[in-house]
Amino acid sequence: MALSRRDAMRFTGLAAITAAASGYAKSDKTAAKSTAKGVLLSPAPIPAAKGQRVVIVGAGASGLTIAKYIKKGNPKVDVVLMDKRSVFMSGFLSNLVATGVLPLEFITHDFLEAARNGNYNFLQATVHDIDRTSKTVFTNEGTVKYDVLVLAPGIDYDYSHWTKGDVELETVLRTKFPAAFIAGSETLSLKSKIENFEGGNFVVTVPGGNYRCLPGPYERSCLIADYFKKNKINGKVLVLDENADITIKAAGFHSAFDNMYKDYITYMPSTTIDSIDPYKQKIVTEFGQEIEFADAALYPRVRGNKLLEIAGVAKDSPANKAEANIDPFTYQVIGDKNVFCTGDVRPMGFSKSANTANTEGKIVAANIVKYLGGQELSRKTWTSPLTVCFSAVSATPDLRAISVHAEYAYNDANKAFAFANAGMNEKWDGSEGIDGGKGLKEWGKGLYRDLFN
Amino acid sequence: MERRNFLRIMAAGATVIAVNPSLIRGNLYAADGRLYTAYEKAQLVDAAGNPIKASALDSEMTYIFNYPYASTPCMIINLPEPTQQEVQLKSESGEEYVWKSGVGKNRTIVAYSAICPHQLTHPTPNDNFIQYVPKTKPTMAYDNSGIIVCSSHLSAYDAKAGAKNLRGAATQPLAAVVLDVAADDTIWAVGILGSDKFQDYFKSFKPEFKEFYGGIAQAKQLVSISAKTVKMTEYSKDIIQY
Repeated sequence: MALSRRDAMRFTGLAAITAAASGYAKSDKTAAKSTAKGVLLSPAPIPAAKGQRVVIVGAGASGLTIAKYIKKGNPKVDVVLMDKRSVFMSGFLSNLVATGVLPLEFITHDFLEAARNGNYNFLQATVHDIDRTSKTVFTNEGTVKYDVLVLAPGIDYDYSHWTKGDVELETVLRTKFPAAFIAGSETLSLKSKIENFEGGNFVVTVPGGNYRCLPGPYERSCLIADYFKKNKINGKVLVLDENADITIKAAGFHSAFDNMYKDYITYMPSTTIDSIDPYKQKIVTEFGQEIEFADAALYPRVRGNKLLEIAGVAKDSPANKAEANIDPFTYQVIGDKNVFCTGDVRPMGFSKSANTANTEGKIVAANIVKYLGGQELSRKTWTSPLTVCFSAVSATPDLRAISVHAEYAYNDANKAFAFANAGMNEKWDGSEGIDGGKGLKEWGKGLYRDLFN
Repeated sequence: MERRNFLRIMAAGATVIAVNPSLIRGNLYAADGRLYTAYEKAQLVDAAGNPIKASALDSEMTYIFNYPYASTPCMIINLPEPTQQEVQLKSESGEEYVWKSGVGKNRTIVAYSAICPHQLTHPTPNDNFIQYVPKTKPTMAYDNSGIIVCSSHLSAYDAKAGAKNLRGAATQPLAAVVLDVAADDTIWAVGILGSDKFQDYFKSFKPEFKEFYGGIAQAKQLVSISAKTVKMTEYSKDIIQY
């Protein structure tokens, strides 16, 4: 397609290489000598599509679910799932790994196993460009063409509130005090911080907006406090919450903070950070309060992954920057029905959690199969994802957890989704809490089974 | 032998086949073999090996037995009221089938696979997250009790209607165990109706099979002659129910 080649040239960074390789370059012949272009612009080393091809970018809870369930829905559809990581590590249950309650193996899983069991192709590759006109994904392994593209790349952090664009500060914050809400090295950093903590203030921040894993920072605070208590560490967890109150399971967390961790947790609601000095390890709040800390997990606001901007499908949502510009009922990009955006990049105010992405992924997969079969998607083909999530409040002597479950319903008056049929179990001190602890582990295992088996 | 347990199977609303499951062996209907499979008939017996009588089942108690494989747990429940009849159900791949009714004198006895089709949670000797919630006990999973709940992700199933999905993430009913109650009140499992998850289950729990059954080969052995049936509290150490 002539248009596509021209279109490819508009992408910064790649433009020179693309132009040179396609023979359309009128200048910059030197770029043609680059050895990189051959690799980048040749088809990636995966079998040619056998039938309609769905390319899914991002092998988190959303992408893994969609890949598996498209194949289940119609085995003739060719599915390629790609991720830049070589190993899967889950954000869910990672607080338990960081605090030594569960082993690292519990949250670490094998993409290849998922691909074998699901009968799709897994490509370990980093996407650096997407041309929606020629339906091509450009990766470091080469190009992949699609009939339908699913973007499920998850969140990025939005440090701008704290750094005002100071990239050096952002890099220092990312390195010294990672948020640990994108699993991987950040999780390992948090684990080593907790294990090596000698005493003083350990700051946990809770961002505003619709951040990933609403109960996560509170659960983490409980588990760090539990760790301090058990190991007789003279430390205190300072929870600096941008929100006016605990954002979910508030009664359960408040009662855990007050009853189990009175001497170990200080909860500070409505605390907006004005500045952070990562060298002196000092936070100044908007009201001028100075808070010194010995260590921290600083969780900034979240935004949609930058891949959305690369694909030209990003739009600020009411809660976060640069989320997916999609029809909330079909997940299709406005103006390009062949591109679906799912998981934590969705702009709807659903809980950004693996269980939500997993239940949503099954709905989206079924709809993609329908769409490939020639059916139009609409509000009528929408059903609600489900959020079921457990949060640990203690690990010693028993693992105890509280939980929430909810569906979503669309409110036509304010054009937004809200919880429906929601329920909470916030009692942690009786047998409910112990059952919750067992439920928490089984809940996670169930998700891994669904994603990988 | 009662012949009440007569069932119909419908393939996507088209062909209707009527068979008595207690008379057949092997796949009933090749094109939709997943909908009903007859296995070797097994008599439900207690821990001592004595036949269990239908009229002796405690009301609203979840009993567990493994069928049709040595490792695949099922539940049998004597409900407090007669079940619905001729319940139209649909598997996650859209195949339709009919669950005839409960069995026993008052049509109150039902049996289902205890492997949750959502994410395969099932009773083990350690714990049990999926069982019948008696009418007087509230559950988080649904507005009323007297239903089957998987407390792992709160899928709710209608115990008196072929384990039809009531709420939650599961996208199909629990597979049903087809039962026969003989004239002498003994109970026999004869087959599995609906879409079962046995193959996914075998793929997912290899370490567990080693621990509880000796290995995957033992776990996959078909149950023959009789199936030991015990109260869920005897089958598992912990019962978890929301």
